[in-house]
Amino acid sequence: MKKYTLKRILTSLFTLLAILLVLFILMQLMPGSPFNDEKLTPDMRAALYAKYGLDQPIYIQFFRYVGNMLRGDLGVSYNISKNTPISQLIQSRLPISIQVGGMAVTLGAIVGLVLGILAALKRDTVVDTIATIISVIGVSVPSYVFALALSYTFGFKFRWFPMLFSAKDIFGSSVLPSISLSMFTMASIARFTRSEMIEVLDSDYMLLAESKGISGPALIFRHALRNALIPIITVLAPLIVDLMTGSLVVEKIFAIPGVGSLLVTAIQSNDYNVVIGLSFIYSAMYIGIMLVVDLLYGIIDPRIRLAKGDD
Amino acid sequence: MAEKAIRLGGESTADAIVSAVDAMYTEHTFAEKDFALKHNEDEISVDTNFAAQNFWKEALIRFFNKKSAVLGLVLIVVIVLLAVFGPGMNSYTYSGQDLSQKNFAPRVPGIEQFGILDGSEKMSTTTGTKVTNAYQEKDKLDVYYWFGSDLYGRDIWTRTWEGARVSLIIAVAAAIIDMLIGMSYGLISGYFGGRVDMVMQRFLEVANGIPRLVIVTLLLLVLQPGMVTIIFALMLTEWVGMSRIARAEMLKLKDQEFVLASRTLGAGSFFIIFKEVLPNIIGPIITQVMFSIPTAIFTEAFLSFVGLGIPVPQCSLGSLISELYNSFTTHPYQIIPPIVVMSLLMLSFNLVADGLREALDPKMKSM
Repeated sequence: MKKYTLKRILTSLFTLLAILLVLFILMQLMPGSPFNDEKLTPDMRAALYAKYGLDQPIYIQFFRYVGNMLRGDLGVSYNISKNTPISQLIQSRLPISIQVGGMAVTLGAIVGLVLGILAALKRDTVVDTIATIISVIGVSVPSYVFALALSYTFGFKFRWFPMLFSAKDIFGSSVLPSISLSMFTMASIARFTRSEMIEVLDSDYMLLAESKGISGPALIFRHALRNALIPIITVLAPLIVDLMTGSLVVEKIFAIPGVGSLLVTAIQSNDYNVVIGLSFIYSAMYIGIMLVVDLLYGIIDPRIRLAKGDD
Repeated sequence: MAEKAIRLGGESTADAIVSAVDAMYTEHTFAEKDFALKHNEDEISVDTNFAAQNFWKEALIRFFNKKSAVLGLVLIVVIVLLAVFGPGMNSYTYSGQDLSQKNFAPRVPGIEQFGILDGSEKMSTTTGTKVTNAYQEKDKLDVYYWFGSDLYGRDIWTRTWEGARVSLIIAVAAAIIDMLIGMSYGLISGYFGGRVDMVMQRFLEVANGIPRLVIVTLLLLVLQPGMVTIIFALMLTEWVGMSRIARAEMLKLKDQEFVLASRTLGAGSFFIIFKEVLPNIIGPIITQVMFSIPTAIFTEAFLSFVGLGIPVPQCSLGSLISELYNSFTTHPYQIIPPIVVMSLLMLSFNLVADGLREALDPKMKSM
C-alpha cells in the first residue's frame, strides 16, 4: 500500500509539473510584452527586466514561475478587472461554485442510487424501463440543455425559482443549476448501481443470507448495497470532473458568479492571464480528486491494493 | 517376398535378394523437372463459413432485436439525410440575411390551415400576452420559414441542418482520428509490454491527468478557431479511452495460440499487431468509436458556448444554440430546433453504441 500510495503521489506531482510547463510555454508564446513602451530607454528596460527576473536564463524563470504558482500567486488580471490579483478574484467565487457543485453531486448520487436500486430489484418491469429511459436521457443530453429547459419552465414561465442568480436567495437560486448539473451524475450512477446490484443479487452469499432468513431492508442495505457500493466510488471521480466542465456553461446560463463563469468571461475577453491561472486551478483540483479517489479505493478494497502494489 | 525369404533362408539369402534387386534397378538421380507444383487450388477450399457467418450474423440479429438500438439507427439515418439534403430544400442560404424579415415564427405551408405553425406567436408584454403574426403585419404572405427566422432574418431550417452537417463532420472526423491514434498506441503498448509499456503508460497517465477542458481551451486560444482546430483539439483529448481499450484487449489476446502460431511462421511484430490481433478486437473498437461521437458533438457544442467555436457566418449546432440562447425568453421557438436535433443526435448515437456493445460482446454486462 505504501509503495502504491507513493507512486500515485509522485505521478500526480509529475503531472502537475507537466501542466505548469505547458502553461509556462504558452505564456512565452503569447504575443506582446508589458515593457513595450516607446519612451523606455534600453537602460530602463534592462533595469525593469532585471527587477522582474526576465534577464535570467529561461529555466530559472520557469522554476520561479512554478514557485509562484504553488504559493498561490497566479498573477494579475489584465482585462476583466485591471491589476486585481487572480487569487483574489477566485477567492470570492470559489465558495459559490463549490456549493452548487456539492449540491449537484449529493443530489445526483442520492437519486441515482435510489433509481439504480429500484431498477435492479424490479428487474424487467416497468420501473426498470422507466429508470433505464431516464438514465439514457441523462447520459446523452448535455447539462446545458437541461439548464435552458429548467430556467425557461421553472424560472421564466412558473417563476418558482429565480431565473438568474441572486445574492439574496443563494439556496433558492442554486436549485435549478444544481438539478441541471446533477443529471449526468445521476444517470451514470443509476446505470452503474443497477448493473452492480444485479451482479451482487445473483451471488451465492445473497442466497446464503436469504436462506438464513434475512429479508427486507436489512438484506438489501446491509448485504447487497454495501458490496455494490465499492465499484461505484470509482465512477465518482470522472463524474466530478465532468461536473466541473458542465459548470462553466451552467454558471453562465444562470449568471452565477462562480469560477466557471469567470473562466468563460476570461476566454471571451481574451484575458490570458486569468485563463492560464484558472487552468492551473482546474488542473490542480482535477489531479487532487483523482488522487484522493484512487487512494480511497485502495483503502476500501484490499484486492486493488494488492493488485496495483505489485507493478 | 523378401521377408518370407529371410524367414525361410536366413540372412545370406536376404542379402542375395537385396543385391539382386539393386542390380535390377540402377541408382536414380532426381532432376529439376521431376519437381513441379501440383496446381490444386480448385480442390482446396477453406471453410470460411464458420468464422464469417456466425459472429457477424448473430451480432446483426442481436443488434436488430434491440428496439432502442434500431430506433437510434433510424434517427441517425434521418438526421444525416436531412443534414445532407436539408439546406437545399428551400431557397434560403445559411448565411443569407434579410433584416426586413427578422424574428419570424415558424410557418409551414399546409399545416398552417390547422392553426399551428401558421407564423403567429405569443408575445409577453407588460400588460399580458398577445398573439402577433409577423407575416401578416409585414405583408409577406408568400414567405415561409419552416422553423422561423432569427434576429438577422436568416432561415433557421437551413441553418439547423447546415449546423448539423458541420457538427457531424467534426464529430465523425475526430472520432476516426482518435480511433487511429488511440488504437495504435494501445496495441503497441500492450504488445511489446515491459519497458515500452511502462514508458507509454506513464506518459498516458500524465496526459490523462490534464483536464480536457484545459487542453482544449488553451489550444484554441493559441490557434486560429475553425473546424480543423476543433478537430485537432478533440483529437488530442479523446484518444486516451480508446488506447486503454485497445491495450486491454491486446493483453488478453497476445498469449493465445494463434499469435504464437503466426510468430512461429515468421510474422513480424507489426504484422501480428495489425493483421492478426486487430481483426479480433474490432468489436470493442467500433463500440468505443460510436461512444466517442456524442462526446465530440458535446465538446464542440461546449466550445461554441464558451466562445471558442466555429467562426461566423459558418454555424454548428453548438454555435446556433449559443447564438439563439440570447433570445430564448422572447422567441423560444428559435432555439428549439438546434437543441432538439443535437439532443436526438447524441441520444441516438448512445443508443446505437449501447446496442452494438451488447451485440458484439454479449458477455459484457450493461444496463
